[in-house]
Amino acid sequence: MLDPASSYLGKMLLEEITPVVMVLRTPLVEESCIKNGLNFVQMLNPFCVFNNIDVPVRTVSDQPYRLQKFKCRLFYASDIRQPNKEAANEHLKQVVIHASEKDTTDLCSDPPQLENILTVAKTESLPSWFQVFNKELVRTSAFSEHEAFDHPVACLLVVSSKDEQPINKFVDLFNTNQFPSLLNDGAMDPKILKHYLLIHDNQDGSSEKAMNILTEMKSTFGTNDCRLLCINSAQEGLGDQQDGAWLPYETDTSLDQHPGCFLNIDDLNEMKDLMQDLSSKHIIPYMEQKIRVLNQQVSATRKGFRNQIKNLWWRKGKEDTQDAPSGPMYTFSSIESQIRVLGDYAFMLRDYELALSNYRLLSTDYKLDKAWKRYAGVQEMQALTYFMLDQSRKDAEYCMENAFNTYLKLGSSGQRNATRCGLWWTEMLKCRDMYKEAAGVYFRISNEEPSLHAAVMLEQASYCYLLSNPPMLRKYGFHLVLAGNRYQISDQRKHAIRTYRGAVAVYKGNTWNYINDHVHFHIGKWYAFLELFDVAIKHMLEVLECSHQSIVMQELFLRDFLQIVQKMGKTFEVFKLQLPVINMPSLKVIFEDHRTYASPTAVNVSESLWRSLEEDMVPSIPTLRINWLESQPKYAKKYKDSNVCVAGEAIKVEIEFRNPLQISISVSGVSLICQLSSENEAKESAELGDQSVSGVDGHPLASGYQNDLELQKLKNSWELNAGSSSFILSEVDFFLGGRETTVVQLTVTPRVEGILEVVGVRWKFSDSVVGYHNFDSALVKKKIVRGRKARQSSSSNLKFTVIKGLPKLEGCIHRLPKIAYAGELQRLVLELRNESEFPVKNMKMKISQPRILIPGTLEDMNAEFPACLEKQQQSTSSNLLANSVHGSNGLLFSFPELVTIGGGTTFLWPLWLRAGEPGSISLFISVYYEMENLSSGMRYRTLRMHYDLEVLPTLDVSVKISPCPSRLQEFLVRMDIVNRTSSETYKLQQLSSIGHQWKILSLPSDGTICPSQSLVAGQALSCFFKLENCSKSTWDDSVSAHSAILGSDVRLGSQGSEESIFDISSTPVADFHHYERLHQEKSNQGHPSIADFILISQLQETRTGPSDSPRLFSHHACNCSIASTSPVWWLMDGPRALNHDFSLSFCEIKLYLTIHNSSNAVASIRINTVDANPSTSGPLSDAVVAPQSLASFGHQVGWHNVSLTNDTKDSSDAVGSQVGKSSSDGTAPFIWSASSCTLIKLGPMSTTKVPLQICLFSPGTFDLSSYSLHWNLQFSDDEVFVAEKTIQSSSGTSQGHPYYLTVLQSP
Amino acid sequence: MARIRECNTAGQRKGMASTACFIIVSRNDIPIYEAEVGSALKKEEAAHQHQFILHAALDIVQDLAWTTSAMFLKTVDKFNDLVVSVYVTAVKKIYGHIHCCFIVFILLFSLTNHIIHTRLMLLHDSRNEDGIKSFFQEVHELYIKILLNPLYLPGSRITSSHFDTKVRALARKYL
Repeated sequence: MLDPASSYLGKMLLEEITPVVMVLRTPLVEESCIKNGLNFVQMLNPFCVFNNIDVPVRTVSDQPYRLQKFKCRLFYASDIRQPNKEAANEHLKQVVIHASEKDTTDLCSDPPQLENILTVAKTESLPSWFQVFNKELVRTSAFSEHEAFDHPVACLLVVSSKDEQPINKFVDLFNTNQFPSLLNDGAMDPKILKHYLLIHDNQDGSSEKAMNILTEMKSTFGTNDCRLLCINSAQEGLGDQQDGAWLPYETDTSLDQHPGCFLNIDDLNEMKDLMQDLSSKHIIPYMEQKIRVLNQQVSATRKGFRNQIKNLWWRKGKEDTQDAPSGPMYTFSSIESQIRVLGDYAFMLRDYELALSNYRLLSTDYKLDKAWKRYAGVQEMQALTYFMLDQSRKDAEYCMENAFNTYLKLGSSGQRNATRCGLWWTEMLKCRDMYKEAAGVYFRISNEEPSLHAAVMLEQASYCYLLSNPPMLRKYGFHLVLAGNRYQISDQRKHAIRTYRGAVAVYKGNTWNYINDHVHFHIGKWYAFLELFDVAIKHMLEVLECSHQSIVMQELFLRDFLQIVQKMGKTFEVFKLQLPVINMPSLKVIFEDHRTYASPTAVNVSESLWRSLEEDMVPSIPTLRINWLESQPKYAKKYKDSNVCVAGEAIKVEIEFRNPLQISISVSGVSLICQLSSENEAKESAELGDQSVSGVDGHPLASGYQNDLELQKLKNSWELNAGSSSFILSEVDFFLGGRETTVVQLTVTPRVEGILEVVGVRWKFSDSVVGYHNFDSALVKKKIVRGRKARQSSSSNLKFTVIKGLPKLEGCIHRLPKIAYAGELQRLVLELRNESEFPVKNMKMKISQPRILIPGTLEDMNAEFPACLEKQQQSTSSNLLANSVHGSNGLLFSFPELVTIGGGTTFLWPLWLRAGEPGSISLFISVYYEMENLSSGMRYRTLRMHYDLEVLPTLDVSVKISPCPSRLQEFLVRMDIVNRTSSETYKLQQLSSIGHQWKILSLPSDGTICPSQSLVAGQALSCFFKLENCSKSTWDDSVSAHSAILGSDVRLGSQGSEESIFDISSTPVADFHHYERLHQEKSNQGHPSIADFILISQLQETRTGPSDSPRLFSHHACNCSIASTSPVWWLMDGPRALNHDFSLSFCEIKLYLTIHNSSNAVASIRINTVDANPSTSGPLSDAVVAPQSLASFGHQVGWHNVSLTNDTKDSSDAVGSQVGKSSSDGTAPFIWSASSCTLIKLGPMSTTKVPLQICLFSPGTFDLSSYSLHWNLQFSDDEVFVAEKTIQSSSGTSQGHPYYLTVLQSP
Repeated sequence: MARIRECNTAGQRKGMASTACFIIVSRNDIPIYEAEVGSALKKEEAAHQHQFILHAALDIVQDLAWTTSAMFLKTVDKFNDLVVSVYVTAVKKIYGHIHCCFIVFILLFSLTNHIIHTRLMLLHDSRNEDGIKSFFQEVHELYIKILLNPLYLPGSRITSSHFDTKVRALARKYL
């Protein structure tokens, strides 16, 4: 550690704790001095400091030592008093203001970097005005009565030679009441060293008169104590330029004359001599002497064991007498005051050991006396003495803290002393590199001081934290903020800003959001006060996105921000304004090249879906070679890496804006910023761009600068656009509530060819701030790429090649409902508009769901619906699907060759809609068209339409077919219909069967099936029909149902009604049936299909809403198969009743078994006849309870008497219940008379007849079911697999059907 | 200062452990969890004042954390009547904890062991040191559970509402 005397505190002590010389002068003295622009004390001040006075000093010890540096302080008697508090504060304020004016740092510049602060703090000293301020603050507590070092040691009486009766004046000066209170109150010894000085102004004439007075003085006051000082010897203000001498001292002259203009070198030397003599020959010896005298006294009364005991005893005795906070009054003659004087004199003469011993002695006394202020003062001096001795640091700090705390305890009376003490303490700690502790002390001082002083203290504390090792930056920042607040309270805005700027550097980039908001908000506000709006706004912008703050704070921030903007008086432009926040990843660009979209929903469908839909419609590769020389189409080559768009067509950009605040904000004039340049220009600029990019890489620019650059670029391009008409921009205004998010669609419509680049977006916030945001292509990435993803580099996503205007179709489907009912048949109209001048041709259309939507024919347009579906007399089987191809994923429909859509015309085409099943359905339709003029690169375009459809359930139709037991060619059809709606009522119209070989008939052949015809909500209905096979001989089903839709219809209403029958072979119904069949075929594999049915119903007219046209529904039940277990059907044919004369012979009856193989394989069939055998037949009781299963039925042979009613009643159940009843005469059996076992082979789908014969011996009713059929299907190899998959079994046994034959005895 | 003191005394007048601001600071000095858990009415200025004080206290913690092996650093800093207590999570402790619970996470943890010296800081005006210690210990356990969540990225903000409720319940219990 360095020598304490050369430390800052040491120097300060050597300056501040020095002998005081009281000056008493007459007004004429001042008059002479003021000519130089200086008063008397100021004039002499430069000569009071001696750096090499070299005076021997001998205090109490015998060894003299030499004093090199010395200083005495001159004060007018009137100034020797405690300074006025207000005046002192005002003075300090001036110091602060002065400092802020002198502060050269540019407040508008960017806040300093943290690294800079650190290095600066290490190398340079802190702002020097702190030292000035501290010194002034220390001085405010000067001339306290409890300390002796501010008590005048000597008195300098000055009289001018112009004064009349100068000798009397000297006497008068000392006797007047201008003495400071210190002397008058008796706090100090009024008998002080006097020195008499006569001032002679040489301008007033020769010094002869002065010499006379001097001799007179010498005779009166003694030769040694009198002196003459001649000043103003120089002529006409041309004195020796000694400005430097007065410069460090404050002068209150602001005159144009420089100080000391009338003083020549002789005067200066004379003054120097005067002060040196005064110091070395009078003051120092006087102090020496006084020290010796006092020391003797102190030694006599206080030193030694006896005295100490006595002292203690005595102190104890008066312990309870006084307890005033100021302690007892000590006059100069009291021993305590004398010890204090002794200590202070010793300190001033740098006999620190002596001073310390005395201070120690005294502190115990004061402590016992509870004279706390004096105690604190002594402790303070003791600490400083320790410091100057550079020993026992602990003690020094302890004393200092003790003094500080004691002063604080005194309250307001000790406050200033506490401050001074604290300042010395901090200096002491700083000397020892204990910056952290020093900062703590500064902080403690700041608590006691008015805000301005506190601010300075806190700022010094912050620098202490910065200087501590390691630097405590967070503390530094915090204390700067605290200081800034204090500065602000005391109206020192510049200082406040300065401190906050430091804090900004500390807090930059941290995530403590409340801190950041506070700092930026306040500094911004203060800048605004100073009318530095640019910087103010820069800081205010930082706090705008304060979603974590409460709503009150958000409002405050926003209000102040807008106020500042308003005060600025112009619209402010901000790059990347945070209000509202733009969600960059949400950026989406929609443009139309050869792909055009009918609606926004179509845009959102993934490109791959469209592409698979359009696969076989559009030319497979975009390279449409016109001739072999052109290897690639022009545009494909040229615009490989950028998107293509068409002039006159808008590019839409969707961006999401989010309001981070809880308060609503208004945003207006949102529009894109674009650049449109010709191709050549674009190339050049691209090259330039590359260069600039590389430049940036080489020399990384400050981010702020780069932002400015970006902003400038955006602004330029915006202003450029404002004038040009090469493209049109849309503007959007919107209002965002608290925390809301909205997606805004912006458009730009280029008008001429070239390269269009979408650069950014611009908006106006609250009508006062303009925000810019650029679309950083790196951020956009793949998000926006539509189409050629793989081939595009991300940088060119927002670049478009604008090509010449092309025709574009716009289309929609009229009256396409959002909600449809299952089965409802509707006619829709597709409208295509061509807005351009050029016609388009070669149109094709692809529909993704032909089951739901199919194109109609032109005739359908004008026909009346649903009347057009009614059966005409002459059935014109239209061939609609001739020009449609059913692709893998949809229906490709080519419009007739003739169809072209001219410029400006509208084209209509009918569509049929029928939704088969309930659920939600997406329809994708793509219309392909080609352009007439091939001048531009693009040859074809597609229009993509997308609709979503919700289909509600209506009727559920299920059909069950079972073979008719009585006839081979007939089947029973049971149709179950359930109305699944909640409110609608359906009117059932007709049921049609499809296929030329089937004919459907109502079961009671001429009856009405459903008289009411209507099915109310929730109701179920079952109807029965008969299905007849019309084909006579062949079972061949090779003719597809579709190619010739023939069928038969059954009217479900009353048979006689005049309502027409709908033609199920007409276009839409038949087509839908085709697709329905395809669909159901997939889902319903297995049983061989037999028939398809179509149920046509109408929605009953509701009373409330008269619908314009009846709503027609068709329900298709396709591929219905026969519910039968066996693939082999047979029917016994023969007489049912006959007469025979049994008396003649037994009766021989021929029967035929017609067998039909309904399977696809060859069946080998074996017919076993079992002759009735009474022994084998079970007992009668068994037969009665015989279960109806086939197995038991098999044993039930023999004669049975069966009531005839069974047959008709249970016709639907072929093997129905048989009430076995033994015939009355069981002894009369019949026998199968032909071969008992017949084996036949039956090809697939073929029929054969097998003859059978029985012999009867008696009349009666016979059940001829005692035979069984064994069938075995012989699959070929590939068929086996199919058969295994299906439920069909390959072989089985069936018992014979009951066949009742009644034979009567013929008469 | 005066304002802070006022708001403080106002809190004390209400009784209870008036001001208490709890914060978890990640290694990078980023606050990953903040909660005002005091019973005093929350004032507008309080939020930033508490942040300032706690942020400044990090300087002290930085010095102190290396001088002791204890996790609970007790009172490290104070500002007027407000006291900052700090609990520093140490890598040793966390590792041990995880080791005994979830062997699977050892690997994960070794990758993310930069969680050392996550600091749990509490700004408070009550002097209930035992309660604060228990509070810290329990919150630390909660924090470890958060860390064990494989979806939680160490050092990111803790947004779990469950954690928040638990912390507030603990604050009511101990502070």
